Amino acid sequence: MARTQEPIVLDDAAWERVVRVTNGAAAPCYQCGVCTATCPWGLVKDETVSIRKLIGEAQLGSEGWEEALWLCTTCKLCEDRCPRGVPISEVILALRNLAWKDRREPPHYRSLLWGEYWDGNPWGRPPSQRTAWAAGLELPEFSAADHELLYYVGCTASYDRRMQRLARAIVSLLRGAGVSFGTLGESEPCCGDAVRSVGHREYAQEIAARTAQVFQEAGVGTVITTSPHCFDMFARQYPRYSESFRPLHYTQCLWELIEGGRLRLDQPVNMRVTYHDPCYLGRHHQIYEEPRQILASIPGIELVEMEHNREWALCCGAGGGRMWTETAAGERFSDIRAKEAGETGAEAIVTACSFCISCLEDSVKTTGLEGMRVLDVSEVAALALKPKPAKARAKTARS
Amino acid sequence: MFEPLYKPEEAHGIWVYLEQQAGKLEGVSLELLGKARELADQAKVRLTGALLGHKVGDLAKEAIACGADEVLVADDAVLSQYRTDPYARVVTQMVQDHKPDIFLLGATPDGRDLAGRLGVRLRTGLTADCTAMWLKEGTTLLEAQVTGFGGGITAVIECQYHRPQMATVRPGVFQAAEPDPARKGTVTPVVVKVPQEDQRVQVLERVTREGADITKAKVIIAGGRGIRGDWRLLEELAALLGGEIGATRVAVDEGWVGRDRQIGQTGLVTRPDLAICCGISGAIHFTVGVEKAAMIVSINTDREAEIFEHSDYGVVDDVFQVLPALIEELRKAAQT
Amino acid sequence: MTAKRTNHKGLEIIACIKVVPRPEEVVVDKATATIDRAKARSLINPPDMNLLEVALELKDRHGGQVTLLSMGPPLFEPYMRIALAMGADRAILLSDRAFGGADTLATSYTLAEGIRKIGRYDLILCGEESSDGATAQVPPGIAEWLDICQVTYAGEVKIVDGKLRAEREVRGGHEVLLVPMPAVVSIRVGINEPRFIDYDRKLWAEKEAPVTVWTARDLGVDEEKIGLKGSATTVSGLGQARAVERRREILSGSPQEQAHVIFEQIRPFLRKGA
Repeated sequence: MARTQEPIVLDDAAWERVVRVTNGAAAPCYQCGVCTATCPWGLVKDETVSIRKLIGEAQLGSEGWEEALWLCTTCKLCEDRCPRGVPISEVILALRNLAWKDRREPPHYRSLLWGEYWDGNPWGRPPSQRTAWAAGLELPEFSAADHELLYYVGCTASYDRRMQRLARAIVSLLRGAGVSFGTLGESEPCCGDAVRSVGHREYAQEIAARTAQVFQEAGVGTVITTSPHCFDMFARQYPRYSESFRPLHYTQCLWELIEGGRLRLDQPVNMRVTYHDPCYLGRHHQIYEEPRQILASIPGIELVEMEHNREWALCCGAGGGRMWTETAAGERFSDIRAKEAGETGAEAIVTACSFCISCLEDSVKTTGLEGMRVLDVSEVAALALKPKPAKARAKTARS
Repeated sequence: MFEPLYKPEEAHGIWVYLEQQAGKLEGVSLELLGKARELADQAKVRLTGALLGHKVGDLAKEAIACGADEVLVADDAVLSQYRTDPYARVVTQMVQDHKPDIFLLGATPDGRDLAGRLGVRLRTGLTADCTAMWLKEGTTLLEAQVTGFGGGITAVIECQYHRPQMATVRPGVFQAAEPDPARKGTVTPVVVKVPQEDQRVQVLERVTREGADITKAKVIIAGGRGIRGDWRLLEELAALLGGEIGATRVAVDEGWVGRDRQIGQTGLVTRPDLAICCGISGAIHFTVGVEKAAMIVSINTDREAEIFEHSDYGVVDDVFQVLPALIEELRKAAQT
Repeated sequence: MTAKRTNHKGLEIIACIKVVPRPEEVVVDKATATIDRAKARSLINPPDMNLLEVALELKDRHGGQVTLLSMGPPLFEPYMRIALAMGADRAILLSDRAFGGADTLATSYTLAEGIRKIGRYDLILCGEESSDGATAQVPPGIAEWLDICQVTYAGEVKIVDGKLRAEREVRGGHEVLLVPMPAVVSIRVGINEPRFIDYDRKLWAEKEAPVTVWTARDLGVDEEKIGLKGSATTVSGLGQARAVERRREILSGSPQEQAHVIFEQIRPFLRKGA
């Protein structure tokens, strides 16, 4: 099909600009097209979204073909398969950065940044409400002298009513393992991932620097996070301000505690579940086994795998800033994922990321998957902690 | 202080600006006549309507039926459409000639546009968006209650030394009196002199349509961000209950509904017997427009949503699950 | 004296902004019957963010400069610097104890005097109203003091053949006006997405940008016309708004069960034969 398009004028200055912001990362691409064939957008749209074209144009100094640039969820499915090792998601984020400079960003992302600016979190909630989820738990303020680790709750688990249950579950698990820990309470700063994910590198770095300073001043060594995205920020974007700074996702910590005999998950939880790999644990950090091992260690849990698991897991659709925008019905990756989970005969999809839970719960409802629950690893593990009353199953159905 | 144009002792009578559009008096003007009639009876002073426009004579009669003792009519082609400068010029002349004590205007966009200009031209006090007003015992000093800070704070405002005491009021705050066609009053034409320099603004187009008047609705079904632009269930519910659709500012900004249905601080104040709020977080800029409802039911998936603090019954669940069930029951009951 | 349009290249825009406390975080100090903003976080008045975007878009299109003007205490300065980082060129803060306690008559007078001192202006942009006082009276007031045209509740604003073409909200619809400049325009809240801080400007905005403070003396204004003294209205009583007492009953159960409870409550409103 012949398509006429505006000729791209090759401009040295533009090319240098793109090379600089991407660190020349697009250069090795030889236009094979595996990325385009792999990208999940091809599953939900009539045509594939040509990532190859985006990268090719970046090589020539073009600043980013609008649509693909903002569709990318940074799931890394393409990146893991690129024969030339082009860090595609990083190139895309860098091109987004240029878009901000040229004021070509999607206008609704401006209010995301302003919300972060005025409120210090992407949810538009005041700092004074950040610890409402912990009412009655008497959580101590983190002290490096007294505590083994900092539990970094994160904005989503602090403010989102559904996700607050994860934070409470993690607290009971840490207490169940006898871990001494503290939190930063109302002063817990945002990690900056929402801003980074839409490409505003400078502002994200500012947030990261400020939060890193808070950690440094508090003498934070080991820090565990609820969200894989916060974990990713700390692991990849934050400076190693001290030898002892050790960011972990909570699943890594829980598995360490189980292996070390400190955490016993021995109450039976009779459920057939399937595990969905969040992109920011799986493909981004190769954390595939720990969540599964935690589930496998719970008596009564029957773990069945979806066809696409681990490196092949389908993204839920929320990464790359898409958590903060609307995805049209019929174009949601999580609808496909929910269906795939249904085909395993599992009663619940278990995952380890708030964004995935959010998308999957939505999809379960809209695709009418009767009775399928969506749970976090922490929620399932917490069930294995406490002794259960007789009507436990009915109760958990509502909790 | 600024030198008042005339002193309180020289001022007499209560005035209401009779805003008209497309040959009809604005509802808020009739509501103001209703309230002003009360005040005028209490203080035993005259109630005068100030009517500007072109070929608007009939409207004067309507104003008298609704409570005016006199209507001053400035009828001229130059006033056929509202423009700040000609209207401000004519009203200023009227005020200088007659020296009213109190002057009330409806807080429509044009009303506020005019009032704001007049407040300065007349070097007097202007109180915006009054929610209540009364006269200080034994005097004609107007005490006007307003809210601020999104409705969280109330204040009472006075204009002691300047005249006219000006105030604007939003549609739906007061109630119009039942028109009494037998009421007598005088209609006084006013000479219109609008110099060329006041005609500097050109109206290229003006498009209005008679929208819904949700300020009169007994039942309001309101939708916000949470219904994601899907109004079908709300419309069904409204039809079953004989209600009107209302919306938050977000819904209007998104283009889902017109401004005529916007409820809240920068929208309309409603006073239904029943308001059902769907997918609305309940920020104060919205709730001030619905808090006079006799009963408020809210549906929102967020347990922390502020709306539940302002509701009688709260449903923490999905609108798209709850409404179908509710509609089902209502349909069944309607058929029995 | 009628103001003339500036002839030099580009537009001279004055953007009047205000810093307000978060409405829900303000309380009334019962003891003193005054507003206590101490614990409330502040931000730039949201409609003013929309006006800033309009101002900056006009500057992008026509060239010129955007001058920020505010009347307020020194705490306004960092917020004006945020607006400078968005793209404004200079900031003028009218700050003086004598300006305090002003109603809209005195406020619009003071701002108009500030604008007179600035001298050159084609457009004066304001937000439709502020989230604290919410009177919407200052923009028409400024226009009257300066004897120039006004457009309130404007949405789309364009310069066409040296005149201002503005779309404006009216009750039940809209109108389009052609207005000679200079003019005052108040911008409707929510009509655009205000651009974020420009990081290339940020350092300059925070450290070097000129924020000029003018006192009452600098303006040469009559003390009787500013602040409390210049106000024609006075506040005679202040209170925390008391909402209607609501039941605040949160239902539970399945959607069907909850719907049934609601049905029982709203049954009287059902139209028979609907």
